[in-house]
Formats: sequence, structure tokens, C-alpha cells
Amino acid sequence: MTEERPFEELQKELEDIVARLERGDVAVDDAIALFRRGEELYKTCVARLQGAELRIEELTVTDAE
Amino acid sequence: MMYGERKVFTVSSFNRGIASYLGRLPAVWVEGEVTELRRNEAWATVFVTLKDPTTGATLNVTIPRRTFDRLELALEEGEAVHVSGRAEFYELKGELGLRATTIERIGIGGHLLALERLKRKLAAEGLFAPGRKRPLPRLPRAIGILTGAEAAARGDLIATIGARFPAAKVVICEARVQGKTAPTAIVAALSALAAHPEVDVVVLARGGGSFEDLLPFSDEAVVRAVAALSVPVVSAVGHEQDTPLCDLAADARAATPTAAGGLVVPELTELSTALESSRRRLGLTVRNLLERDAARLDRLGARLRAAPRLLLERRRSGLDHAGARLSALSPLATLERGYAIVRAGAVALRDTSSTSPGDRLEIELASGALGARVEDVRA
Repeated sequence: MTEERPFEELQKELEDIVARLERGDVAVDDAIALFRRGEELYKTCVARLQGAELRIEELTVTDAE
Repeated sequence: MMYGERKVFTVSSFNRGIASYLGRLPAVWVEGEVTELRRNEAWATVFVTLKDPTTGATLNVTIPRRTFDRLELALEEGEAVHVSGRAEFYELKGELGLRATTIERIGIGGHLLALERLKRKLAAEGLFAPGRKRPLPRLPRAIGILTGAEAAARGDLIATIGARFPAAKVVICEARVQGKTAPTAIVAALSALAAHPEVDVVVLARGGGSFEDLLPFSDEAVVRAVAALSVPVVSAVGHEQDTPLCDLAADARAATPTAAGGLVVPELTELSTALESSRRRLGLTVRNLLERDAARLDRLGARLRAAPRLLLERRRSGLDHAGARLSALSPLATLERGYAIVRAGAVALRDTSSTSPGDRLEIELASGALGARVEDVRA
């Protein structure tokens, strides 16, 4: 499910988790679950950033005329 | 009318004949300069004199006033126009003219006006409203690029994207961006790009060109397609000073293809920095939370361990208190102040009634006791 979502959504979720933890009104069990989720999001984001090189695809449109 | 062998026409019938002959001519376009324009609210017809600028030949043009007004041309004398119409013979005066169905200004003027009208119309529909602008994705899965075949713009754009964000993917769709068929081609390319499963943003990349070259990007169908596309559109058409209407309908505008590249992909380093910072804070906050909880636990533990001792102390101080109250009640304390207890046998004496001279008494003092005998008794 994580894979399919756009990068900025994942990054936003990560930032939200950090913000929640920083506010501190989180039970310890929840904090650990949030931390694990945050780590997972971080790894997914980093993986997205690491691609070898620019990929180029050409699209041709068949003329309607 | 016949005068012997001679067939003679009246002026009216001659004119009528010419009129009907000319009436069979097809509709044509005539180009010329407006030299005289007579329009009056009271007349049903507007009269224009058209001149051939090279020979000076002139032609009378008439056009219904309502048709003329609907064109919103605001024609000035001296302007070059194309007039579409049929030859017409004014029978009463025997004058030849052109009955126009439409007039178009030629050169940039007409286009500008048409453009201005279209702009007003689309603006009135709210197509350019800031509220319609969608945010661009921070990291699109793929960037759709629409360019013409030549396209230095395309090279610039791809180079910028590759430099900023090497892992990007671009999907390029070439289209004819100039000429009469360009609008159709551009609309088709736009929807093809938007239909691509990974394309999250589309860039219209078209380098500079003459005013006419850029006209397809102001075409109504193109502008509407840009506004209605299912993904955000960045318009990088022409140079800074050009404002094709697609610029206004797009979600973002870039002055150059390079600037467009900057809009559609983030700088990899910035993104990495943000991610690393998030992660550091993630670890830090969790540690802080855990430490905070550990400290709270420590405090609780300390209080728990301290509790029995506190309880004892409280009890002890209670006892001390009770002891104090008890000793306050003890007669011994009274004896300390100089009083004495006098007993006859086991009974403490309160009056003299049960004692007689010679009785033996015990006197208890704060410290020690005396044995005594009664000498006399006073009531």
C-alpha cells in the first residue's frame, strides 16, 4: 500500500508522525508503533530517491485526421 | 421596347438584368484597405469603401449593421481587411458593390482582438481563477512533456530535470505545435500524456516564436484542455514577454524550459536533507518520549519504596502525640508542680471525714513517699 502512494504523501505522513511525537502526547506503545511506521516511510522515501538515471519514454499520438 | 430593328432596354430593366447576372457570381474574399467607413444607428447598412493600396482602385462594400456590430471590429480607416461577400448591383444607382457577410482584420490586429475577446470570455467563465490552480506534485512518478519536433526547449527541460533529480522519469509526446492543425494535435497529445498511468504533471514546452507561431497555445480548445486536464499543467511557452492564453489556464507558468524543470522536480539534495532531518527527529523524539517515561517510572518507584517508611514515621509521630496527651493527664505531672497525694490505706483522701488523730497516712510526692500520723483533725 505504501508503494503506490505518491512520494509527497509518504513524506507528509513521515513529517506528521515526527510532529506528533514531538508534541509528546503519545502513549509509549503508540510511540513505538509510530516510530516503526516512520522508519518504514523513511526507507520507502529514500528508495524512491535512489534511481540510477533519467528514464525517457516516447509517446506517439495517432492523428485523428 | 423595339424601335424598328433596335431592341432598347429601359435603365431599370438593364440594371435588373445586370443585377441578376451578377447575382449568380460565387461568394469571394476581397482584400483591401478601409478608406471610408459610414455607420449610423439609424441605418440598417454600414457602408465601407475599400481601396487597393497598389493601384488605388476602389470598391463599395455594404454590410448589414447588426452583422457588422456583432464582429466588434472597431475598424479604423486605413486598416487592411479581408471581406467575404458577393458582388451586388445597386439597381437604383447602377452601382456595383460587394455585399459583405463578414469582415476580418488582417495582420496581428485581428488576432489580438480575437485573443482579447477569447480571454475575456474564458476569464468570465473562471477558467483563469487562482482558486482553480492545483499544486504541483513534489515528486511526480513521471513528468509528461509536450514539445514540437525540433525543440531546443525539450533539450533544456530534460537536461534540467536530469541534473536536479537523476531518478526522474519523463514521458515525451511530440506534437505539431504550429499551423492550423496544431490545436488538435496539442489537445490529443495532452490527453495522451494525462492518460499515461505514471504521469503526474505535464509540461507544455515550446520555445520562442513569432506571435502567429504561438497562436495555437491561445486556441480555445487548447486552453480549455489545459484547464480541464486531469493532472496539473506547467506552461513553458514562448518567452517571458509572451502570454499565450494557455499560460493563464495552466496551474503554473515558467518563463523558460529550465525554470519549468525546476518546478516539476525537486532538488535531490534538498529532498534528502529533509528526509534525513525527519528521520533524526523521529529517533530523537521517540528517545525523548521513552526517557521521559523512564524518568516518570523512576519517580514512581522512589515514591513506592519510600512509602512504608513514611507510614511508620507517621504512626510514630501519632504515638508521640498520644504519649504527650497521656502524660498531660498523669497525676505524676501534678506532683511535679508541688502537689502531693495523701492516702489512708489504698484510698486517696479528699476530706477529713474518715480520719482520726493517730491514723497512719501515706504521702506520695513527685519523688519518694512519706509515712505519717495524724496529730489532730480540723473540719
